[in-house]
Order: sequence, then C-alpha cells, then structure tokens
Amino acid sequence: MNRNKLANRYPRATEILEEMKDSIKDGIIPIGIFNDEEIYQMEIEQIFGRKWIFLGHESEIPEQGDYVLRYIGEDPFIVARDESGEINVMLDACCHRGVRICKAEQGNTSHFRCPYHGWIYKNNGKLIGMPAQRQAYNDLNKEDWGLIHIRLEIYHGFIFGCLSQDTPPLETYLADQKYYLDMLFGLHKGGVEVLAEPQRWVVNANWKLAAENFSGDDYHLIFLHHSASDIGATPYSMFENMKGYHIHAGNGHCVSIALERDQDGSKTEFPYWNFPKDIYKTFDLDSLDEKQKEIVRDSKEMLGNIYPNSSFLVMSVTSDQQSEPVPFFSIRQWRPLGPDKIEIWNWMFMYKDTPEQFKQDSYRAGMTNFSMSGIFEMDDTLTWETATWTAGNHFSKKNLKLNYQMGMYRMGTAEVDDKWPGPGKAYYPRYGEGNQRYLYTSYLRDMLGEEKDQEGAEIKQDGKDYSKSISR
Amino acid sequence: MAKTIQNQLVDKDLLVREGERFLYTEAEILDAGDYQKWLTLLTDDIAYQIPIRTTRERNAHSSFSSQAFHMNENKASLEMRVARVYTDYNFVEDPPSRSRHFLTNFRLVSVDKPNSKCEMVMKCNMLIYRSKFDFVSHDVLSGEREDTLRKEDGRWKLAKRTVYLDHTTMGMSNLAIFL
Repeated sequence: MNRNKLANRYPRATEILEEMKDSIKDGIIPIGIFNDEEIYQMEIEQIFGRKWIFLGHESEIPEQGDYVLRYIGEDPFIVARDESGEINVMLDACCHRGVRICKAEQGNTSHFRCPYHGWIYKNNGKLIGMPAQRQAYNDLNKEDWGLIHIRLEIYHGFIFGCLSQDTPPLETYLADQKYYLDMLFGLHKGGVEVLAEPQRWVVNANWKLAAENFSGDDYHLIFLHHSASDIGATPYSMFENMKGYHIHAGNGHCVSIALERDQDGSKTEFPYWNFPKDIYKTFDLDSLDEKQKEIVRDSKEMLGNIYPNSSFLVMSVTSDQQSEPVPFFSIRQWRPLGPDKIEIWNWMFMYKDTPEQFKQDSYRAGMTNFSMSGIFEMDDTLTWETATWTAGNHFSKKNLKLNYQMGMYRMGTAEVDDKWPGPGKAYYPRYGEGNQRYLYTSYLRDMLGEEKDQEGAEIKQDGKDYSKSISR
Repeated sequence: MAKTIQNQLVDKDLLVREGERFLYTEAEILDAGDYQKWLTLLTDDIAYQIPIRTTRERNAHSSFSSQAFHMNENKASLEMRVARVYTDYNFVEDPPSRSRHFLTNFRLVSVDKPNSKCEMVMKCNMLIYRSKFDFVSHDVLSGEREDTLRKEDGRWKLAKRTVYLDHTTMGMSNLAIFL
C-alpha cells in the first residue's frame, strides 16, 4: 500500500511512527508504539500480512495425515502432510460459511469435515463433497472451493508461511540470517527435530518487546537474570558473556553471538556451545566455510530474531546444581494477540541423530530455564508486561521517550567491527543497542511503506508476483 | 468376617484423613511461601511433573504429553528453584504474588501395605487463585493432582506429584509458584 493510503487509513499511527522515524536516528523511541490499537491494526496489515512467519517444523508432522494447527496473527492455519507426503498450509475455515473445521491442536486425519453442513475436504485442502450433493450443489465445481492455501517454504525443516504474494521467496527474505541459521541447524546430517509439543502461554505484553529482547538485549542478563547466575543455572559469567557480536543480518533480522574476539581457539572454554565432545565430534563441519567453523567452535551462546516475530536461542544451562550444564535450542513465535498481548510458543529442538538421553537432558535443562516456569524467563515476562502497561497510559504515551542509545554518542563500548568474518554489519562487544535500532528501523520502513533500508540500500523487493509459488 | 471388613474400611478412612491433613498442611506452607520448609516435606526421590496438554480429538490416546512438561522436577531442581527465591534478584516473586490452594474431591487411588511402612496415592481436584501487586485482576489454575505420599520415619512425605491441568494454552504469564 502506498504511503498516502496508509496515512489516511492509520492517521494517528502514522503520526507516531513518523515522529519515531526522526527520533530513532538519535536512539529515541516513543513508548506509545508498544501499546496502541491503531498501530497494532497497521502491523497486522503491514507486517504480519507480508512477512514470512514461523509456523512449525517438519518433524512435528512426520506421517501422512499428521497435522498441527498454527496461527499468523489472528488467522488459524492447518499445517498438514497430505497422502502424497507434501505439506500444505491452509486457512482453517470452511468455504461455505467460514466455520472452523480443524477440531484439535494436532492429530492425524485423512479429511477435515465442517460440522455445520458437512462439507468435507481432503488433507490437501481439496473439497470432495457434502451431504445431499446432487440435490444441494449439483453443478458446483469443487475444484474452485477447496480450502485457501497460503505460501509456504521450508528451511532446515522449519516451516514458514506468508500471506502476501509480493514478498520474495523465503531464502531471499532470510538474507544474511541464512548464514547463521546454517551454522546452528545445518551441523548434523540428520538435521534437527522437535523434542516435544510446543509450550503456549499468554503474556500481557507487546510482541515487539519479545522480538527486541532476542534481537540483542544481552545487557539485561547482567541484572534481570542475576538470580540465575547466583544459583549457578548457567556456567557463564554474564559480564564475560558481553564479549561478543551483534550482527544486522538483513531485512530486520538480528543475531547476537557470545564470542571473545581474537581468542586462541584452543583455549575456548565452552567449545561448540558446550556440546559434549562425543556429540560435537559428530558435527558435519564440511558444509561450513572456514569462518563459520571458527565461529561454531568458539561461540558460547547464540541467539537472534527472524524478523518480525520468530526467535532462536542456543545456550548452555543446567536443570539443577548437581548436573552438568547442557546446550539446548529454543525456537519461539511471539504471536500477537492485540496491542498488549502475545501468545508465546516455545519449541525445544535437538539434532535428530543424538542419544535419546541427551535429548531428554537438553529438553529438561532448556525448559527449566527458558519457559513459563523458567529460571530466566519468569523474570522476563514481568518486565515486558509492565513496559506494555506503561505504554498504554495517557501521560506516559505523550511524555515518555525511551533511551535506545547504547552504542551511540560514545555511550556503550560497541563499535563496528570491519573484520567480522561473516556477512552482515557486526558490532563488538555486546554493549550496544544497535540491533534493536536496526530492528525498529526495518519495522518503520515496513510500517510506513518505504523502499530503502536504513543503510540506504534498495530493499530486496524485485516486483515479481510470487503467487505461482503457492503449492496448490 | 464382617467386622474385619469394617475395620479395614475404618483403617482406610483414617488413612485418607491422614493424607488429606498432610496435603492441607503442605498447601498452607506453599501459600505462605515457606519454601525451605516445603522442601522438608519432600522425599529425596521426589518426582514433580506438570505435563503439557494439547487439544486432541476424543479418540486420541491422551491429551497429556508424555514428553512435554511445564515442569519436570527432581529434588535437586526443586532445591535450585527454591534457592532462586531467596536470592536478592527474585523480581517476579518479590513482593510475592498472593496464591491460595483450594483442594477438594479427595480420592484414595491405592495403598501399599497400609499397616507397615506405607505408600498411598491420592487424587484431588485443585484450584489455585493468584493475584499480585495492586491489580484487581487475578489468575486461576484448575486441575487434578495425583500425589504419592510415603511414610518415612513416622512422617508423611510427598514422593510424587503429577498435576493434570485443565489448560492447554496457559493464561498465566509465568509459573513461578509451586502447584
């Protein structure tokens, strides 16, 4: 949508965002963006209606007929593996009256049947019939009335859906983030698999606060998560852990890596994210370039945000004070449920071909620290909730401008590191809020319908119509 | 013969009363936030589990996961959680939320050797009210608990707890309390 149309439809939101466009150059963000109904409506259209959104993983639906129910914003989608083994992402709504046809969060079925009049669809979305068809719908062309499919693409088994025909393919969209995702998820020949059903819980917070936290807010670990250090839930010193890189990975994607610069690789304290030696010996490093190999060997912890609202995290934690810390992979979706509400989806993953006991230990350690009961995370949600609360209030909305200046004006020690071997603009150490500013600059560009990114480059929109890439 | 059966029934009733009394006291200690004391009520091999539930069709085996848990704890991990509460950085629960356990519908599932050492499994329904700060809003958790109690040195202790929640998507922003 062009800028004028947007401004007409969302006048107040546009005004706030235009103000933010100026202020973010100084590292200032008006708090109002974190709790505003009009901005939220604009986001549903401009962000969630156009970006690739994480839905799940192939390993959640391994068999023909397996399905899971997932969401993009408020719209529900059935992610189903059909009889030919293909994955389909289809709107959970009957074409007759819009009644939802998927009864469960997950299961296995050959057909989805609408409870209202009994229209029946195969698990690939094709309408195959209804009661009293000859009397009721004799000449209906059933080919035209299947479930609505949306675009889907898969990367390392992770299934993404996209509601727009104009958005470039997933791999183009992921940009430099691909390089970092390859390092994490491409290390094992058998790939990764989901360890259990996702945990879902609702938090009264704005989705951007979660996304920016995983984009590169390592600074909060020092204080908010002090209790985790105190009781030894993680082997890292949170101060030492600030040695590391923040990377702008293209199209609003962010990566944050705990990695000491110029260190002697042989002295790495927790090589390969602290994976046990018998597991990291099985890593398939051949697929990596020399630089990736070094990063994988020397980084202690790695996290990031796949713009807009999917995050990943690998770090090493323990489930109790007597057990050795083990690494885990947590994947998130911060599903927006309004300007002041998210549903957090939390999946734990591990390399498929690792011992069962290790997978269980990793799951347990990960969930003990990063989940709704997590030693770390229980404190996170508290802060996101009160910030969202503040953002919705009359006086704060007008007067409270938030400081995102770390790394600017000689505040914060973060500086651009031209020698960073990987793609994307990198900063060292992690005392900076450049990733958050990068996230929000991309966000503003999308919200206001602009065509250049913050570094002046043309956005990778090639003007093509990708509707042909719909699977059916 | 009839008298013996009656005696057994009385014994069983007494046992259920003992179990109830233990669980009421335990709930009182939890609601008071006296977690150090709570730990002394747990056996060393305690298993404390809250499986994740998903909406499944009626013909599905179970709506409770065998691999996904909100919490899956042993004594050591519960001790770590309690240690966290007493650090200076317990932001989420200091000041503490106000929680109240309501336990009802007690059922004795099984008794192992009622007259010697003794272990019994009891089910009850559980409702937990929780509010915090000066908010009028509150959270409610509903579920069924299956608790295994064991008598050690003449004292009842909790040897296993499984909480079967009536929630799939959880409506609480954190689970920083014990159920």
